[in-house]
Amino acid sequence: MPGKVAMTIYPDILGVVNDRCQNKIIITGTNGKTTTNNLLTHILKKEYPSVLSNLRGANMPQGLVSAFLHDRKKEYDWGVFEVDEGSFERVTEHVKPDYVLVTNFFRDQLDRYGEIEKAFQDILEALEPLDTTLILNADDPLVSNFRKLHKKNIYYGVTQNQYSTLQQGIVESRFCPACSSYLDYDYYNYGQLGGYQCPDCGFSNPNHDYQITEIDYQDHQYHYQFKNKDQEVQDITFAYEGIYNAYNCCAALSTALEVGLPLENVARSIEEFEYHLGRMENFQFPEKIVKIALVKNPIGLSETISSISLDERAKSMLFVLNDNPADGKDVSWIWDAEVEKMSNVKNINQIYCSGRRAEDIALRLKYAGVPVELVKVDDNMDSAIGKVLNEDVEIVYILPTYTAVFQGRELVLARLEGSGKKMSHIREYLKNLKLPGR
Amino acid sequence: MELKIYHMYPDLLNLYGDLGNVTSLRQRCQWRGINVEVVSFSMNHEVPLTDGDLFFIGGGSDRGQNIVYSHLLKYTRVMGDLIEDGAPVLAICGGYQLLGEKYIDADGNDVPGLGIFDYHTRSEEGRLIGNIIIENSLKLSPETLVGFENHGGRTYHDHQALGKVIVGYGNNGKDQEEGMIYQNCIGTYLHGPLLPKNPHLADHLILKALERKYDLKELSSLEDRQEYAAHEKVLKLYSP
Repeated sequence: MPGKVAMTIYPDILGVVNDRCQNKIIITGTNGKTTTNNLLTHILKKEYPSVLSNLRGANMPQGLVSAFLHDRKKEYDWGVFEVDEGSFERVTEHVKPDYVLVTNFFRDQLDRYGEIEKAFQDILEALEPLDTTLILNADDPLVSNFRKLHKKNIYYGVTQNQYSTLQQGIVESRFCPACSSYLDYDYYNYGQLGGYQCPDCGFSNPNHDYQITEIDYQDHQYHYQFKNKDQEVQDITFAYEGIYNAYNCCAALSTALEVGLPLENVARSIEEFEYHLGRMENFQFPEKIVKIALVKNPIGLSETISSISLDERAKSMLFVLNDNPADGKDVSWIWDAEVEKMSNVKNINQIYCSGRRAEDIALRLKYAGVPVELVKVDDNMDSAIGKVLNEDVEIVYILPTYTAVFQGRELVLARLEGSGKKMSHIREYLKNLKLPGR
Repeated sequence: MELKIYHMYPDLLNLYGDLGNVTSLRQRCQWRGINVEVVSFSMNHEVPLTDGDLFFIGGGSDRGQNIVYSHLLKYTRVMGDLIEDGAPVLAICGGYQLLGEKYIDADGNDVPGLGIFDYHTRSEEGRLIGNIIIENSLKLSPETLVGFENHGGRTYHDHQALGKVIVGYGNNGKDQEEGMIYQNCIGTYLHGPLLPKNPHLADHLILKALERKYDLKELSSLEDRQEYAAHEKVLKLYSP
């Protein structure tokens, strides 16, 4: 990786990145960093000529440096960087952000980071000396606890809506981050994100500066009602599934408005946004749609299954579970996900399980109550993709872990190209076919 | 037939797929027509433990474990009597450490455990992380148990071990031993989670519970193709 080499030769290269960006935003947290980064960069690029960003999700120091080396301009209007929780301190030693956006804290790759309380503490300590505005997810008690730093805080969130629930299986933080009492919840939107208050010390959601107040799902698209600080309401259509994407969208919108962009422009940018990185990316095949959605931790997998359950089309699915170091060597996280929600997914033709730990995800599905005859194991991803794409269905969902997402995407693209060629081949053949004269 | 499974502190000790162990026990009973009630025992839900047939204690974050340590102390006698009486207990990672005398943290401070067993756990530098394969000493077939371990603490004891380490670290990374068995109480560092991929161990615990309650000597067998496929895959990928 060029970033790694450059950092060895010139350790302060992050300082150069810092100096060349007039304004900087750092996005951190467990889930939604890459989506929010891509969305925000897309919005900023509509308004500013030069924006530097690490869009591919390489979010450790060398990833930022690689993005810079690839682009290497004298000056940038904006630097927008997603930074891994574990690298936050090492990055902010050199890159001084004007804004720090924190999405959420979920358990993710505990074999690497230990505990989420530690991730919080590390970021807190790194934030302390920074002169920066915090853009915080008000609905995550762990994130909103950064209020105790008394920086300039901007809060975003999603109010109770038709997809909110009163019960939640995975809650990372049942305990008040301020006083350790049991938190009371009025509703949950996703994981521990929701409306909370502490009966003992009064710790509760700070008021939202920016918020999504209603969510509707129609024609395979999400429709949001977004309110800015002046309570002006804007309808926004977003093509990407899940309540987690409502939070990502709200995070990007809030940040864009906070830096002074007009609401209508931002809303339009969001509606035009197209994702190309295997994170709810769509591929249109002649006969079907293929969607790839990265799943890498319990909450992400649970939420992805929930959003698939809204899609009534005939479907087949492919899970790809790897245990390479970048995925986390420990696959036990699939047991922390609410795979039981598969019982809400309608019209499933076939489920394939692949990857190095294909048998583990197949077993998880069995214990979640998925009929074993629906599940087929093929630990070779290439042939598993071939099989799932051959299914006679309207839509194929592919849910790969991190190291499978790029490879899986290439394999799907290769087949898409193949099918295109086959189509043009058939057209060519038909053109040359000498039909009997009439 | 009916079994009452106590899931101890599911809100505080539920790391690394611990819930999968409870899911495995429940499903494997239900598939055999045995009714199961899973009771969550926690700080805001204290119930007498004496009517429990099977107990599961998982692992937690340092903060979670500290809260549990002080809370569970008043149940030391009850838990000790149950174990002495042959009630099956599966304690993983933090839960395993908790049953011992004390945990000596990184600063050298003693955190008292329940003291049901006389062993101790010491925090030492570096975490022991990775896939683990052991040969079980319960004479269960297959001989192997597979899982994943992730612990900073090293446990030292003279009790019977759950097994011999083939791949991985085990109790302390030194003596090639993993876990502990006393009566039907099992302490271990294997998660992964442990029971779904080791159905022979899950059935061992269920049978011991049924033996104690109904004097049952044998369990009907289940179709375990998927379970052993996942077990075999770990052996295939990580055997020496």
